Order: sequence, then C-alpha cells, then structure tokens
Amino acid sequence: MSGETQSADHEIPRSSNTFAGDVWVNFKRWNLKAVRNPFVLVVSLAQPFIFLVLFTEVFGNVAGGAVSEGLGPGIDYTTFLVPAIAIQVALASAVTSGIGLVNDIENGMFEKVLVSPMNRTAVFVGKTLAEVFRIALQIAIILGLGVLLGAEITTGVVGALGIIGVGIVFSFWFIAFSNTLAVLTRDQESTIIGANLLQFPLLFLSSAFLPLEVLPNWIQLFARINPVTYGVDAARAIMLDEDVMTVLEVTAFDGALDTIVPAVAVLAGLGVAFGGVAVYLLSRASSSDVR
Amino acid sequence: MSNDRSVADAETQREQSRQGAVDRTTPTTAPSIEIDGLELTYGDGTAAVDGVDLTVADGEFFGFLGPNGAGKTTAIKVLATLLSPTAGEVRVNGFDVRAEPRKVRESIGYMAQETSIDPELTAEENIRFACEAYGVPRSKRDDRTAELLDLVDLTAVADKRSEGFSSGMKKRLDAATALVHRPPLVFLDEPTTGLDPNARNRLWEYFRRINARGTTVFLTTQYLEEADQLCERLAVILDGGIVADGSPDELKRQVGGDVLDIELQDGEDARARAVEIAGKFDAFEDAIVEGTETGISVTAKTARESGTDLLVALRDAGLTVTGFNVRAPTLDDVFLAITGERVDIESTAGGVETEAAAGTEETS
Repeated sequence: MSGETQSADHEIPRSSNTFAGDVWVNFKRWNLKAVRNPFVLVVSLAQPFIFLVLFTEVFGNVAGGAVSEGLGPGIDYTTFLVPAIAIQVALASAVTSGIGLVNDIENGMFEKVLVSPMNRTAVFVGKTLAEVFRIALQIAIILGLGVLLGAEITTGVVGALGIIGVGIVFSFWFIAFSNTLAVLTRDQESTIIGANLLQFPLLFLSSAFLPLEVLPNWIQLFARINPVTYGVDAARAIMLDEDVMTVLEVTAFDGALDTIVPAVAVLAGLGVAFGGVAVYLLSRASSSDVR
Repeated sequence: MSNDRSVADAETQREQSRQGAVDRTTPTTAPSIEIDGLELTYGDGTAAVDGVDLTVADGEFFGFLGPNGAGKTTAIKVLATLLSPTAGEVRVNGFDVRAEPRKVRESIGYMAQETSIDPELTAEENIRFACEAYGVPRSKRDDRTAELLDLVDLTAVADKRSEGFSSGMKKRLDAATALVHRPPLVFLDEPTTGLDPNARNRLWEYFRRINARGTTVFLTTQYLEEADQLCERLAVILDGGIVADGSPDELKRQVGGDVLDIELQDGEDARARAVEIAGKFDAFEDAIVEGTETGISVTAKTARESGTDLLVALRDAGLTVTGFNVRAPTLDDVFLAITGERVDIESTAGGVETEAAAGTEETS
C-alpha cells in the first residue's frame, strides 16, 4: 500500500478520530458558526423576547382574568407566559438546524464532510448537539429575563433546569422536521418559509398564550394534536408546580408530574418518529448509491 | 521532503520527478488508481461512465480531459467514494472503494468542482476544521495550518472570513483544505474553471508544487492548455468512454503528423491554388489541408520530411512563399482529430457520437 513509502506526502498520519472526537469537531464548528451569524443567535431570541414583553404589557391585564378562570387565581400572566416563550425559543431555534443543513449543501461543505473520513452519524450528532446547546442557552436567557420582568419559577433553580430539559426534548421533533424540509427542498428559502409558516399557527392554536378553556372548541380540538401544547404544559407545570394539562387526564402520579410525565413521553415519542424520518432521509442523501 | 516551503527545492524535485516519470511507474509502489471496467448508470438510465479501464501510477500528474457532460465528474466522484460504481473494480491507494470507503477517504484529498468552503469561517478556521476532520495530530495542526496558508498565499488574510474572498482566493483555500493530511493522492475536479488567467496561473504553480512533493495528482479539465501545461499523462473521455490515452506528446502524435503552416503572398487566388497543389501532393498521405488567413496549413505524417518539397512545388507553380513553420500539433488539434470538431469549452459535448462509439466498443 502507499503507506509503505515514507516520503513526506506518503504518510497518512491520521490519529483516527474516535466517534466522540468526530462529534466534538462538528460541535465546535457549528457553535463557531452560530456565534458568527447574528441571525441565528439574535433573531431567534429577539422575536420570542418581543412576544414576552408585548404580550405581558398589552394583554397582561386582560389575560389575567382568563388565566384565573383556567388555572385558578393568583397566577401572574408573566409567570403564565414565560414557559410558552421558552417553548417558542426552542421552536424558532430548531428551524435554524434545517437552514444550516441547506447552507452546507449549497456551499459544498456537506459533500466535503462526506469525502472526509469522519463518521457520518457523528457529524450529524455533533451538529444537533450544537443546536441543542444553543437552545438550552437561549431558554436560560429567556427564563432570566422572565424573572426580571416579574415571573416566578415556583420550583426554583431545579425547575429552571427542568424547563430547559423540556425545551430540549420538545425541540427534537422540530429539528428533525426542519432537517427533513431541508433535505427534501434543498433550498434555503423553502426551508425557512416552510418552517416559519408553521410557527405561528402552532403557537396560537395551543395552550401557549391563554388557557384552553377560554379558547374556541376547534382550537381546543387542534391543541390536542399540537406538540406545542405538550411542550408548554410540561414547562408550565414545572413553572407553577401544578398539574396544568387539560388535553390528557393523567392521575397516576402526583401534582405536576401528572402533566410532566405524559407530556414528555408524548414529546419523546414525536422526537423518535420525526427523527426516524430525518435520519432516513439524511442517510439517503449522504449515501453513495446512485439514484 | 521536510521543508515544503522551499520553492527552489520543490522545483528541483519537480524536474527530477518529470525526468524520472517513466521509472517511477515500475511497480515499486502500488498504483494510486486502478480502474477495471468501471460503469456508472444513473437512476434515469443515463450511462455517465461506460466501461473505463485506467491505471494511474504513484506520483503521476494525470489529466482527465473531456468536454462538459463527458463523464469526468462522475468518474472522479466514484474514485472519491461519493458514488458507488454500478459495475467494475475500483481501487484507490490500494483500497477497494466499495469495501473500504473510509480507508480511501483517509488517503485522498478531494477538491470538488464547485468551490467548497465554509463562508462563515476564516481562512485559518477552514483549514483547521479540515485538520480536525482528517485527524491531523493535535501537535501538528498549528504548523500544518500555517504551512498551508503560506503555500496558497493566504497568510495575510488568515483571520478574515472567507465569504469576502475573490473566487481565486476561495479556490486556493479550498485546495489547501484538501491537503491537510498530506494525502498521497489528490483529486482536482476542474479546479480552474471560471478563474481569470492570473488566478489560474497561481493555482497551476501550486499544483506543480504539490506534485513535486511526490503527491499523485488526478486532474480533470476542459482546458487543453491546462492539460498540456501540467499533465505527464492524459486520458480523453467522451460520452463515458476513454477514447485516447497517453502523454501530451503521444496524443499529439496521434493527430497524424505535424502541422506545416505556410504564408503566401498574393491573396485568395494564390491560397486556393496552393490548397489545390498541397491536396494533390504525392509525398503527403491523408493530409489535411486548410486555407488560413495568411496562407495554408497542412497536417501530415511527413510534413517535416517533405515540407521543403511542397515549398519547391509551390514556387514552381509561381507562388511566393513569405514564411513557413513546421510545428507539433497542439492538444487542440488532438481534440479536433478525436472528436471531429473544435472543442467548444462552454457548450455540451454534442455531435461526437461517431467518435465516442469507437472508444466504448469494448464495454459489451
């Protein structure tokens, strides 16, 4: 083999990255790109933040009554809203995963990575980890801002970590979805439009901004099959330390867990289902089989 | 060679490797590329590569020449493990592309036709990412990055984001990232397409340096001049099959001789008469005679030996020869001979079916 000749250019001095090493290399690259790209970092945080401030200021007084009607008295609208904004951040950030993939396909980096000896699963794991890491940071920022605006996390720091955890579990299905769009359309604009178009209906037709009880019946019906409802309910249950879920009646556990456990189970299931489709499409896109 | 930055050294080595090209093909090392009966048919039934046999020796500067759509990129993608062959055996650096794709990937550098760099990263970060992707040992990454930046003259803009680079700079950066692991074999897919002559010359210089270090270079190009300038050996691919193979000089010889350009006085009538005389000239067998702007051009096997006889015949016919030149054919002439038409760089390879059939007859 060529390795036997030992002139300078005939060594193959590969330290043969481990799987974890390949994950790390890609994790670093996508974090660097996120820091470089103000759109990714700021815009996906700015819109939820504007929602948080405007909604509490504009609807705070009016919505307070509806919140009391749904969840009982004494709950501040800001406290009610912050978990929903946390989920909105996860949603908005997950879109950028598909956009990143499309950009990589367009600027040739996708193929460049395929030609490299890196493990292909590790490549996508590293990219997704970077996105999840960003989502965790952004939810933490939103929670901090929420507390500054007067929201109260009943369960404290552990609860805050729990909400971040819910946000991460929630983000998987949408990350997978935006990657699926990316592979299918291979077009940046279609991916952005496709994923963004869904964001508002998903948010408004859920328990995010008002308790479902005060919303029209058809919205209540749609909210049942809307993943955002499960994400928001789980985050809100942690925030308030109460069983807030109305779309599924579970009493097997205790208090807030009656919401958290079924909601996280539903989200995890969705993540696996959507993830399966995305993984199938990605491995087909990176396979060398002729089509 | 330990110090790649020494240009003088590199040039010396280059000279040696040029001269020693024939010797080095003897099997002291395995060939870099061995292709046996490669076929690749796309899902829609298009046979992009249809029965290619090819061996590229270790250290060779090899050129794959052909018009757009001839199958160059498809073939190079098979070699780089991006496409699985439909049929045939392909070994790269001794590894089977189907059975050991990762071994192949570790041992090659690949520069795609479209410039592939991350525009959000700086020049240095792009190279560093490649170092990490190819598992260059941590202790060597700094040196390797600095060395490659220097080699492609991007040290001054190392910390600038690559999105602002000119296309020539982007190409050079792309080329540098393909070399971080010092692969014994590098694929360059139309590396200079779309570049201005200045940028092209710089890249050529750079490719020569890599080859001088002992790296096998597999280059595809539509530019005859590029192939002529750089390559020790060429294969011409047309409609998925190889129709000619050899050194640039050998290919030129296949044109059927040398070219005798004659300049004449007295305008068009004189030229027409000269074409007539040259066409009937006994000493030339199967000569191709063309009228040119200033005289005539004769391509014939015996153009060198019998050229003077033709000049005498023209003088005897009362024509005034004002200048003449016997030259070896260019690759342009080669392409004309093989494809039956002048190569139109930007258009697709239409109207070459008859010639291509000759090259693919052994597939069936």
